[in-house]
Amino acid sequence: MNGARAMPTRNVEAIVIGCGIVGAATAYELVKAGMRTVVLERGAPNRESSGATAGNIHIQAIHPLRPGQAIPADSSRFLPLQHAASRLWDTLERELDAGIELRRAGGFMVAETPEQVAHLREKWALEARAGIDSTFLPGSEARAAAPYLSEAVLAATYCAEDGYANPLKIVPAYLGAAQRLGLGLECFTQVTAIQRQGSTYRVQASDRAWSAPVVVNAAGAWLDQVASLAGINLHMTPCSLQMHATVRVRPTLRHLIQHIGEGLSVKQVTAGNILIGGGWPARPLDLTARTQASIPSLLGNVSLARRILPFLKDVRILRAWGGPFAPTPDELPVIGEVAGHPGFLVVGGSYAFTLAPLWGKVLCALARRQAPGVDLTGLGPDRLLQSADAHRARTGSSTA
Amino acid sequence: MREDTYDVVVVGGGPAGLTAALRLARAGVSVCLVEESPDLGGQYYKQRQGAVLATYGPYRPAGAALIGAVHTAGVSCQTSTFVWGTEGDALLTSQVIDGSVRRLHGRFLVLATGAYELSIPYPDWTLPGACTPGLALHLAAVDRVPVGRNVLVAGTGPFLLPAACALLDAGARVAAVLDLNTPYRPSGRTLAALKHPTRLLELGEYLVRLRRHGVPLLQGWRVLGASGARRVEAASIAPADARSSAGARELAVDALCVGYGFRPSTELARLLGCACELDPASGDLIPTTDIWGRTSIPNIFMAGEAMGVAGIHAARVRGLLAAEAIRGALQARQSASADPRRLHRKARRLAAFARLTSILFPVPDWLYQAIPDDTIVCRCESVTAQEVRRAADASRHDIHAVKAVTRAGMGICQGRQCGNTLAALAARTWEERELARAHLLPRVPLKPIRVPAQPAGISEVRE
Repeated sequence: MNGARAMPTRNVEAIVIGCGIVGAATAYELVKAGMRTVVLERGAPNRESSGATAGNIHIQAIHPLRPGQAIPADSSRFLPLQHAASRLWDTLERELDAGIELRRAGGFMVAETPEQVAHLREKWALEARAGIDSTFLPGSEARAAAPYLSEAVLAATYCAEDGYANPLKIVPAYLGAAQRLGLGLECFTQVTAIQRQGSTYRVQASDRAWSAPVVVNAAGAWLDQVASLAGINLHMTPCSLQMHATVRVRPTLRHLIQHIGEGLSVKQVTAGNILIGGGWPARPLDLTARTQASIPSLLGNVSLARRILPFLKDVRILRAWGGPFAPTPDELPVIGEVAGHPGFLVVGGSYAFTLAPLWGKVLCALARRQAPGVDLTGLGPDRLLQSADAHRARTGSSTA
Repeated sequence: MREDTYDVVVVGGGPAGLTAALRLARAGVSVCLVEESPDLGGQYYKQRQGAVLATYGPYRPAGAALIGAVHTAGVSCQTSTFVWGTEGDALLTSQVIDGSVRRLHGRFLVLATGAYELSIPYPDWTLPGACTPGLALHLAAVDRVPVGRNVLVAGTGPFLLPAACALLDAGARVAAVLDLNTPYRPSGRTLAALKHPTRLLELGEYLVRLRRHGVPLLQGWRVLGASGARRVEAASIAPADARSSAGARELAVDALCVGYGFRPSTELARLLGCACELDPASGDLIPTTDIWGRTSIPNIFMAGEAMGVAGIHAARVRGLLAAEAIRGALQARQSASADPRRLHRKARRLAAFARLTSILFPVPDWLYQAIPDDTIVCRCESVTAQEVRRAADASRHDIHAVKAVTRAGMGICQGRQCGNTLAALAARTWEERELARAHLLPRVPLKPIRVPAQPAGISEVRE
């Protein structure tokens, strides 16, 4: 730390660490609210999870179990959050003055067995209670509305608010709008130290430093590493997810297609490629390089897609890729201030793409000590705190 | 999923793969040969079919004989099948017609995956009538169809000469052959070619035929661009040393073949984890091999152009060497004609000639930097040089960010055609370019595969 004192420190009002979709959305909301803000990003913006994700806007209740996931997510806890995020997506293109290929063509979640049909009915009831407008359809009616669904589909729920936005466009759109409002964006700037100095935090990235009363840690799969720089040991469970894209085909598939019992999400993007995902694992997560695709996941995921959407048998798979993903151990989002660290906010966990416009507004409100507008009960970071020893034992890392 | 095990799996049914497969099968070894095309032969021994065969007779009869011998020797030939991934030591194949997926195990692998033509974009290279010399040669020699009536052949490399001669044979006029370099002028470098009289004689025959047909050979010239309303109507050419449009001339042509030689196809070797080294002359990553073609993974061998482009003679010698090494390791019976020392001498000589060729026909970096801003560089996704340059400037020359922002390299060629250009445009320095190329790693599927039906029990798979 020699010479750190001599290093000029720039004073701002908020520092956002990580420039994926959540970091970009938060930075935008902060500068819009008039706060002098800087975003620090270790690489290029949108290069990790946010650039590798499928771009689904999930408004009907989520599929609670990825292939290989140990604990099912409490999908009912997500519903009010999804409901709040849905309205925000509607106006985003106008607000950011940029095209993000937003499409709200609706989505189906399908069931293939009587047991899955029962789950589908329960899910539908939960949605109704949360104020989400969805419809339960027997197989024949689902096929009438979406003729590409196979005979294997016994029933489906339909939600008109499900949709898609291009993940490669939304982050540049947020950043462009934020920069017009004076956001400072520092890429290839890896945070190396975070020190609390009275009521502010001094955040250092090699030979540069910034100081602010508010720090938002939106570092995705690196969330726990960044938190540990501030002496906060968060228990996260980063892993990798796999995605697949077909070659471009004519506009064929209007809807987002998901499965209630298996890991599946399929949709066609504006460029014509069909994206196939559903939470299947890629090869083990590599946080220093690109994570490689897994062959069993590729075969399992795309052949499942073909079972539900038989027209896929004539479409070729062009790419498969792995992206980092950092759920919490309880599979719920994490958002809020860390106890004992006033002004230090963390955000992460599942379904961050769908929830990003909401998280941006919530974090901005928390940063300004205002009411967040949604119920955050049970989502705060304190449930993930662990002792430094437990953290070291789990991650195998030592933090100086 | 169907699984099959062989002593040896040979990937690629061109001269090197065919030669290796034949030698091994004759030694009594079980061999599976995987070839993506419906027919064996690869690029060099591509065979005529149907009416063209009946009218013009066989093309390169030696190839037909080799293919026939491979069938007779009992090689299991999986045509219309390509390798798209690996899982442990297994190769995953996809059948082109029905999309079925199989696992293939070989105690030994021979990767004879060939080479790609190297294209460097120029204005309006996407017009009909603009193609590569390789395509022009195939259409002319195998199918007897010239790509135009009045054709310009340009780029660099000895391959331009047979391409031009094949066009003449198919009845086209060749307006000119342009080589960026000056390999056919006497110099200290060209003198070294005197050590390879057989190779020189081959080139000499092509040069004589071009001269007899009055085809001008312009050395030190390059194509600046094509032009035309709906197809190629003219090409603009200029002396290369200006690196600009100074001294440009228009040539009225209806077809334009531009190519800068070949790049080894090493994706499968790299996916399998074979160690590679950078070839200083060509800038290509090439698997490190011993004289037998053995890679850093002892049961995986390279053969043919995938080891570095060296031509048909080297391809066959390399096929024999890999087969001999594997035959020895499997303790299979020896064939009477095997003389490893003679093969080694031949392989070294041919490699020396290949090195000389890459020195005489270099592809300089300024060719990429000279691509005009409005030229499309990724034709799958219609991305211009300017878009790539701007994205590179905005992303600190991070190739992933360039891809994400522009979609360049994300199309159906999976970067095979445009990867070199993207790396050259996105990077400012040699180091950045190497980094960019290293990042353009081979990924599964190596080529687009049809969506397979659900294999039994696959949804149980967990990692």
